[in-house]
Amino acid sequence: MREIIRLALTLFMIGLTSAALLTGVNNWTGPIIEERRKSDYLETIASYFPDVESFETKAEENGDSFDLIYDSAGNLLGVMGTILQGGYGGVITYNLAVDTEGIILGLRIISHSETPGIGDVITRESFLAQFIGKSHEDPLQPGEDVDLVSGATESTGSIIGSVRRSVGHIATSYLDFQAEIFDITVVPDGTFQGVAAGGQGDIVVEVVVEGGRLVEIKVLEQKETPTMFVLSYPIIPERMIAEQKLEVDVSTGATASAEGIVNAVRNALEKAIEEGEGEQR
Amino acid sequence: MSNVYLQDFQRGLIREIPIFRLLLGMCPVLAVTTYLTNGIGMGLAATAVLICSNLVISALRNYFPAQVRIPCFIVVIATFVTMVDMMMEAFVPALYERLGIFIPLIVVNCIILGRAEAFAGKRPVLRSLVDGLGNGLGFIVALIVLALVRETIGAGTILGPDPETAIRLFGDNYQPMLIFALPPGAFIALGLLLGMVNYIYKRLNIK
Repeated sequence: MREIIRLALTLFMIGLTSAALLTGVNNWTGPIIEERRKSDYLETIASYFPDVESFETKAEENGDSFDLIYDSAGNLLGVMGTILQGGYGGVITYNLAVDTEGIILGLRIISHSETPGIGDVITRESFLAQFIGKSHEDPLQPGEDVDLVSGATESTGSIIGSVRRSVGHIATSYLDFQAEIFDITVVPDGTFQGVAAGGQGDIVVEVVVEGGRLVEIKVLEQKETPTMFVLSYPIIPERMIAEQKLEVDVSTGATASAEGIVNAVRNALEKAIEEGEGEQR
Repeated sequence: MSNVYLQDFQRGLIREIPIFRLLLGMCPVLAVTTYLTNGIGMGLAATAVLICSNLVISALRNYFPAQVRIPCFIVVIATFVTMVDMMMEAFVPALYERLGIFIPLIVVNCIILGRAEAFAGKRPVLRSLVDGLGNGLGFIVALIVLALVRETIGAGTILGPDPETAIRLFGDNYQPMLIFALPPGAFIALGLLLGMVNYIYKRLNIK
């Protein structure tokens, strides 16, 4: 018994000494680290907004944060987002600078764990520069106005998708741009099918509209990863029916599937409107 | 007398150089040697921990009860690793970000625990210090050699990836052999180097 107590006491003393030493070092280095992070970040802001005087941070539930940048007169210069996005190898964190017109001033990858030599093309100037000058009104779709890097489709595609969502989010939430709202009331009654790309191939949906209202949304076909798909179905259709609009919050943890469902519904309703107009003529 | 110290020193650096002769501490070696700067940074960090832990463990060796000596060693090593971790984050942030998880993982580096158990736990302070120096230098040398091979072939640079220090060896049009920057290339390069080292040691008759 005495032996056990002696052993425990020795270990306890060693642990205590270690903790005391580490506390000391932490008290010394902690403020330096904090200071450096802050000045690094201010420098990044200043590289996009040279007149920056102060900023106000808005943290969001999903881990992203957005800083409203002001000059010395208190005028809003733009928004700087610090955004987390799942890539191929892990979470990619990047800064996105958007001016008051909703135009992208630039973006910078802060940290990532994509495959060295393959997925890390996302840090290349040539890839990032293609976003500069694009606005929240641009499609920002791979192959349309921005390019994927072949061999690193997953890494570059996730950045493109994230930039598209984030710049839209900044424009509507922080810059007072009205989100374009799809008018459901002009859709004729009936049952319509639509299709759009999800995370892993096409998603086919069936939408029932009665009296200008969404009544039912069913997914008929999809090839999504099952564990991911359950995160966005049926929650996304339920949200759309409850709010009676297509522009619902798609951050579910399976954003690609969620966006796919929303786009497929949009596709169905757009086709329905076109067909309706055709009949009237 | 000085002969003992010389022997302690050269054991870690030449005769039992941990990476090439004992094949200890492979995990960080394979992971961080994509660039020479990473390799040197990792080597210095591990060497600092090794020397400090050798010193402390040797000084306190009579106070560690035999039954719990390994937990004691680990706590001492972990303390120094955490210190190095915090200091690197404060003073060399760029390198700290590139080495990432492999700094905290120095705690479980077999070379350090191995030297504590096999040497510092039983021998006087000065000899343990010399032993730590020798093994640390040996570790750094191995990291440098491996990183040089991998960076030259896998990225076509030396002292990258920071464009300010990077020297492009073969001009801008060189297409690097990516596999040497990836884990399989690490094994291939290490295997070839081990073969070479074995051959040289045999020729020079070092045992």
